[in-house]
Amino acid sequence: MLPAFKVLNTSSITDAVHELARLGDQVRVYGGGTELLILLRHNLVRTEYLLNIKTIDELSRIGWASDRVVIGAAVTHRRLETDTTIRETLPMLAHAESQVANIRVRGQGTIGGNLCFNDPHSDPATALLIYDAEARIHGPGGERQIPLQEFLVGMYTTALNSDELLVSIHVPRLPVGFGSSYLRIHRLQRPTLGVAAAARCQNGEIEEVRFAVGCIGPKALRLAELESKIRGATLNDSKKIIKETKPYLRSVLEPIDDLLGSAEYKLYLAVILLERALDDAVNDIERNPNGSSPGANR
Amino acid sequence: MEAPLGPTDSHSLQLCVHVNGKRWDGFIPAEETLLEFIRIRLGLTGTKRSCESQVCGACTVLVEDQPVSSCNYLAFEAHNKSVLTIEGLAKGGQLDPLQEAFMRNVGAQCGFCTPGQIMSAKALLLQNPSPTREEIAEWLSGNICRCGAYPAIIESIQEVASR
Repeated sequence: MLPAFKVLNTSSITDAVHELARLGDQVRVYGGGTELLILLRHNLVRTEYLLNIKTIDELSRIGWASDRVVIGAAVTHRRLETDTTIRETLPMLAHAESQVANIRVRGQGTIGGNLCFNDPHSDPATALLIYDAEARIHGPGGERQIPLQEFLVGMYTTALNSDELLVSIHVPRLPVGFGSSYLRIHRLQRPTLGVAAAARCQNGEIEEVRFAVGCIGPKALRLAELESKIRGATLNDSKKIIKETKPYLRSVLEPIDDLLGSAEYKLYLAVILLERALDDAVNDIERNPNGSSPGANR
Repeated sequence: MEAPLGPTDSHSLQLCVHVNGKRWDGFIPAEETLLEFIRIRLGLTGTKRSCESQVCGACTVLVEDQPVSSCNYLAFEAHNKSVLTIEGLAKGGQLDPLQEAFMRNVGAQCGFCTPGQIMSAKALLLQNPSPTREEIAEWLSGNICRCGAYPAIIESIQEVASR
């Protein structure tokens, strides 16, 4: 049995933010509920009210703001996995979404809930970092938009204040000529490790590269230092650089021992998957010679 | 669910739902799960309670033809929707082809996960009447069978899919 609570159905972002400010720590935002209901069941969270944001139309939309895809916070994983716009313009995200937990969780769980809960074992966060996604947040003082990397503060912690609501994720397409890849190692339904990569090549060299690693430490992270080392290297030299990158990964990713594996095991896997993901991203360029950005006429 | 005009604040919520084609009308507490509604209120105990964390699949039912973990789905969300449980599969005494295939292939050992396995398979076949073996395995990856009856489960579903 779940402890008793009341449900507030809101129909606008303004109302929702007003209710958050009015009720303070007596209210929790309720999207898909896949994580929240489990926390309530185990008394890890107590609340008087659930603020149902699925009744706000705007939050369930996938649309465009100039050249960026705008994903409403209440859009489910399953929609991101299957939506034509997402599959065509952000194919690596669609693939990462198809890996989340199981079909029932994907049908119910939302992208906003996943990012706000910030469980370190999140596939979407890792994938979204590659796209330089931003989080749009509404609060009593208005709205603000911050890079996703800043939004993801640490294990189960975000930059969201208690009176603020994550409204949408703004995702730029990868520039023309990029290929991308998302790889993971998982045991049952939770990923031990997720690695995302995107790259663009010119004259046999990696001209541009992006890497993100998730699940092995407190939060998903872009690997800026590794990216700058690889820029300008050949694919073979890049792999050598990745092989020597373990000390750097250890210091930035802060891997932890848990039921999904030891920190050492995860670092070992991270090196291997980074190499494979780069390979895969480079192959993806050839598979999609026009880049991951079909629909450039949009 | 239709959005109300302004914020509503209620512990008791209206629920009008069709379960296996039969309409139920009334009020339920906000925190009642669909699993509790089905098992305790309606007495339909074919749907099983197990992990209560949306991992094992034993409590799978269909809401508007989509597979749902009823243990972690608030019943009020099913307002104005149709729910299908294992009890609703047979039509006039005639078992669903999936149920017959599971019996013929012995797609179960202890049987506890079976209603969830069959409901997940039903949802898949409603969306994709002829899935490949890989598609079946991927779709059913969230339905755990501790006895390990997976080979017979997949054979049962393939048999219906190939018709």
